[in-house]
Amino acid sequence: MLKKLLVVPALALSFMAVANVAVIVHPSNAAALSQDDINKIFTGRAKTFADGKAAEPVNLAESVAVRADFDQKALGRTSTQMKAYWSKLVFTGKGTPPKELASEQEVVAEVAKNPAAIGYVSAGAATGNVKVALTLN
Amino acid sequence: MLKRKLLAATIAASLCGVSHAAVEINGFASIKGGIALSEDDSLYGYDNDVNFKNESLAALQLKSDLGDKLSVTAQLLGRGADDWDVGFEWAFLSYDLTDSLRVNAGRLRTPFYKYSDFRDVGYAYDWSRVPQSVYGLGFDTIEGASLYHTTTLGNFDSTLQLIVGSIDGDEQIGGATAEAQIDNITGVTWELGQDGYSFRMAYLIGKSTFYIDRLDAPTTGLYAQLTAFGLGALAQNLDVVDESSSFAGVGFNIDKNDWILVSEITKATVDNSFITDQESYYISVGHRFDNITPYVSFEKEDNTAKTELYAAIPTTSPIFAPVSTVVNTQQLDRNTMNLGVRYDFHPSAALKVQYTNADNKTTDKKDSVLVVGVDLVF
Repeated sequence: MLKKLLVVPALALSFMAVANVAVIVHPSNAAALSQDDINKIFTGRAKTFADGKAAEPVNLAESVAVRADFDQKALGRTSTQMKAYWSKLVFTGKGTPPKELASEQEVVAEVAKNPAAIGYVSAGAATGNVKVALTLN
Repeated sequence: MLKRKLLAATIAASLCGVSHAAVEINGFASIKGGIALSEDDSLYGYDNDVNFKNESLAALQLKSDLGDKLSVTAQLLGRGADDWDVGFEWAFLSYDLTDSLRVNAGRLRTPFYKYSDFRDVGYAYDWSRVPQSVYGLGFDTIEGASLYHTTTLGNFDSTLQLIVGSIDGDEQIGGATAEAQIDNITGVTWELGQDGYSFRMAYLIGKSTFYIDRLDAPTTGLYAQLTAFGLGALAQNLDVVDESSSFAGVGFNIDKNDWILVSEITKATVDNSFITDQESYYISVGHRFDNITPYVSFEKEDNTAKTELYAAIPTTSPIFAPVSTVVNTQQLDRNTMNLGVRYDFHPSAALKVQYTNADNKTTDKKDSVLVVGVDLVF
């Protein structure tokens, strides 16, 4: 009984703790990536990696919790602010937001097969098929 | 996110080996209801009856990537104020010359202001409407071509835009509808941004011709009558026929620690005409509290009529009244205060409430209006 009561808050805490975000690229991608590079690629301000090769950012749908973490940690904005940012570009023909995938598994699969892709998942979700380029705390 | 993709590839196209043309459809809409707060007040088209038509709008944008760095974009927009008649607000093709150079050609937004390009996309900013003292000039759409150059200068992102084109359409000039034409427009805008700070400047020139029936009509118009009285030189000083015109604007934006500060100052001139220099500015400050952003802004218009145009005419002369009336339509000293809040109640929609009070010192009249609305993107 007492044990059960202790377990519940402990579980709740672990769910509430904000997960680390792993930025992932194709295993063949050797380019160095800083947080600033990631910011530029995911806001459409850079179209290539540091080594000059094309970069194709892959976003997560807003329904996936780690999306909000990524927007805050990597881009310094809320998901709402990012949507306002992209509306400015989309409706003026200046840019197209990264494509969005519905789950972390889909992001891992896409990054594993596309050498140009860059995505992110919660730290535990990255598999051996992709390379973790940077972890955002 | 904003995106819904349709694969508009036909079987015939794929049989022929032509690559699939994906059409992206995006849209935005604003539904706003407003009312002037006293019986005699009127502002932005609102009067003392609740009106949901005036500033409501809906738009659909279609963009097709044709491959090889070529795309075509069309934006269909209907405004409640125009009985929801739908027209092409934008229609242009885009070609990426390089990763940092892009050409847009077709029907574009005149790049006067910081928010020119997306002024109709309410979701993209906090106010209920862009500050009308600055943004109310008109001439918002241009047919032409624009070259964008984006690069980084040190830590700054730089966007340089060169534009050429012409404007042709009806505009409100001094309380009358004018058939307005601005030819040989050339302009440059430059925006520098870094981490929550941005700075922008714009400069455009062109040749303006405004045709207003009661002034320009052959025989019956004021200018024809002045000419008949031997005052052709005065008529030429008043009329707007192929006159050198300019627009200059400077603005900045700071978005730091949830404080948002925006300001723009603009000046528009039409030489050798009754149109006076139009000087305006606004400054706005807001603070983001999670999903609620209250803001306050102040706008100023300060236009002095060119009274020197009729200074030599005796007040007893029969032409004094018609000439001075035309010149004096340009006099405007108005302060406008706005108080409002944006509430992001939904991932794709924002609720906004804005109170505006305009104090027209020229006519000694104060008007206030309250607008409640929802801006969304889809």
